[in-house]
Amino acid sequence: MAGSVAKVNQVRPPAVDADGGTERWRVDGRDGELELTGLQRRFGDVVALDNLSFSVPPGEVFGFLGPNGAGKTTAMRAIVGVTALDGGEVRWGGQPIDSAARRRIGYMPEERGLYASMKVGEQLEYLARLHGLSAAQARTAAAHWSGRLGLADKQQAKVESLSLGNQQRVQLAAALVHEPDLLVLDEPFSGLDPVGVDAMSEVLADRAAAGVTMLFSSHQLDLVEHLCTSVAIIHKGALVAYGTVDELARGGQLRIAVRVSGDEQAQWTSRLGGLASVDHVSRGTATLSLDRVEDAQRVLDIARQSGPVEQFGFERRRLSQVFRDVVGANVEDIGSKADTPATKEPVR
Amino acid sequence: MTRQWWTLTWLVARREIMDRGRAKSFWVATVLLVVAVAAAAVIPALLKGGPSTARIGIIGNTPSLTAAAREAGKITGTPVAVVTLPDASAAAARLQSGTVDAVLVGSKEVLVKQVSVFGSNGIATTLSQIVGLEKLFAQLPPSAVQQAISQHTTLPVRGLKPPGRSAADRFTGLAVAILMYIILLTYGVRITIGVGEEKASRVVEVLLSTLRPVQLLAGKVIGMGLLAIGQIFAIVATYLILGHAVGATAVRGASTNVVLAGALWLLLGYAFYCTAFAAAGALISRQSDAYNAALPLQIPLILAYVLTYTVIYSTSVNSLFHVLAFIPFTAPVDMPVLVAVGAASGWQIAVSAVITIVSTVAMARLAGVIYGRAILRTGGRLKARQVLRSAA
Repeated sequence: MAGSVAKVNQVRPPAVDADGGTERWRVDGRDGELELTGLQRRFGDVVALDNLSFSVPPGEVFGFLGPNGAGKTTAMRAIVGVTALDGGEVRWGGQPIDSAARRRIGYMPEERGLYASMKVGEQLEYLARLHGLSAAQARTAAAHWSGRLGLADKQQAKVESLSLGNQQRVQLAAALVHEPDLLVLDEPFSGLDPVGVDAMSEVLADRAAAGVTMLFSSHQLDLVEHLCTSVAIIHKGALVAYGTVDELARGGQLRIAVRVSGDEQAQWTSRLGGLASVDHVSRGTATLSLDRVEDAQRVLDIARQSGPVEQFGFERRRLSQVFRDVVGANVEDIGSKADTPATKEPVR
Repeated sequence: MTRQWWTLTWLVARREIMDRGRAKSFWVATVLLVVAVAAAAVIPALLKGGPSTARIGIIGNTPSLTAAAREAGKITGTPVAVVTLPDASAAAARLQSGTVDAVLVGSKEVLVKQVSVFGSNGIATTLSQIVGLEKLFAQLPPSAVQQAISQHTTLPVRGLKPPGRSAADRFTGLAVAILMYIILLTYGVRITIGVGEEKASRVVEVLLSTLRPVQLLAGKVIGMGLLAIGQIFAIVATYLILGHAVGATAVRGASTNVVLAGALWLLLGYAFYCTAFAAAGALISRQSDAYNAALPLQIPLILAYVLTYTVIYSTSVNSLFHVLAFIPFTAPVDMPVLVAVGAASGWQIAVSAVITIVSTVAMARLAGVIYGRAILRTGGRLKARQVLRSAA
């Protein structure tokens, strides 16, 4: 594991962020920052969390990614206090999460998590009241969020009578109904149709803009990439990549894609010498690996000497590529073979 | 336990009440129970017909036979109406149609529709004895008859021990046992299923992010308990009101201590069993396991209930039943019955009450621990012992 930890450091974003120069990834949490420090959890021989540390700043859509069985659910359950840790600590706003803080959390568990035979409106009101709202506030909030999520006409319907997509919306409403300051959403996009994905994305972006601290998990890295400002990617309970999506996409091996008009075989690349290596050529577009950013300009010069350049640009890494670069395996391959019992909690 | 603690717990209880209170099955069960109890109060009184009149047919108009019929009525405490019938065929027809209860055929025989398997036909038997006596007297000199009549013709029956508890007390004891059995089984299994549903559907994860497990457990048991009390109240009120209206003997004269014992053990029995049933529900992972998980808790209940019948209709209490009245699992059913038949002394009642109270507190705690540790563990049916051995 030592190798991948080193790479984690490498992909860690710089201490200064683009717009303010303030220290963004500070160690001591303030405001609404959520910090996970050295989380450890074992289930028998299965290591679910392996010294997991990262922090989630408020006001961002923050993705918590990794293959199935990576330990995402365990970590999220630890944050909301429904599973114990063997070691490590979760802090929010610099404080351990106590029962008062827990009422300010909106949690959406991975599957279901609703009373099937209860009416939507009543269910939302009940959950709002459990989080400290008065009866009148709860009623207003339930109506508000039903409306926001397109469930206004479903308030009197029993949850079991709804489509799966609508049930998922009710679940999101249940997590939002008490206007929480911290959102912990376990696989909110799984099982949604494209329309549902859009609606969910919109709500997440809206909540982040409202300053909420948000952590949502997904095993489909590339599907949620464009939604996230920042991500933490884990594998076997340990952090493998962490930072803003932009930084992660730019990190690692520098790659450029170049296309010279009329050169379908990318013959021009034979003149590059040792400047760059050709990864592959596809319909005239050559993908090249470079060592230094400055080399790109010299590659461009050579390309222009060979003909008119139709396409020239730095390749962004997809998050799945980031994962592959660090772990050495495809996230889908791990996910498919591992519906491991790691997320279950066998009795020791 | 702050006010906040109770507010949240009450929210849980309220949800249970509204959830069950809206279920059709709950109301169907309540109505069926009330109807059954109403029937139990009214039907015996109707069958007995209260102080209804015995109609005695007499063939031919014989004053001495009429006097004998009236005498039989006096002895059995039944008003008698005498019907004069012309002949045997008319008598048979009236007996068949049920418009007379017995026919005196001269001083030859007493005719009834069917002789009871128990050999006794109430007033018909008495009638046969009186007319038989008269036949006997007719053989004696008149002075001897005078002498015999001036003395009593029947002997008093005296018991060596004072009479046992009244039928009303025994009946109340049985009613408590039946009620306890029905309430504990239905609510217990219901609670196991409810807890299992919450666990299987992962609702608990959302709930337990704001509630402590013990609040969820307490709220569920309290909510269901209030429903149970409401149901019991409806049943008892129906029984008392209807019973009084029709003058059922079982309603009148049940001792207060029998009623109090019933109420106390109903409450304790509910708390003891229903926390245990909730813990059983926390052990399952799939809803289909609920009945299996609840089964071990039903067995002592069934045993205690069935054995009740060996005591209620008997003048003596077997020692097994006596022992069971002190064991927490069976005491809630058996002790009220023991009180009802008058076989429990004051100190025995006190000891059993203390045992039940202490074990109820212990069971609630144990159930709380099992529930708290097991409710979030999925992946197979757990064993209580495993859960207790493992750390939280």
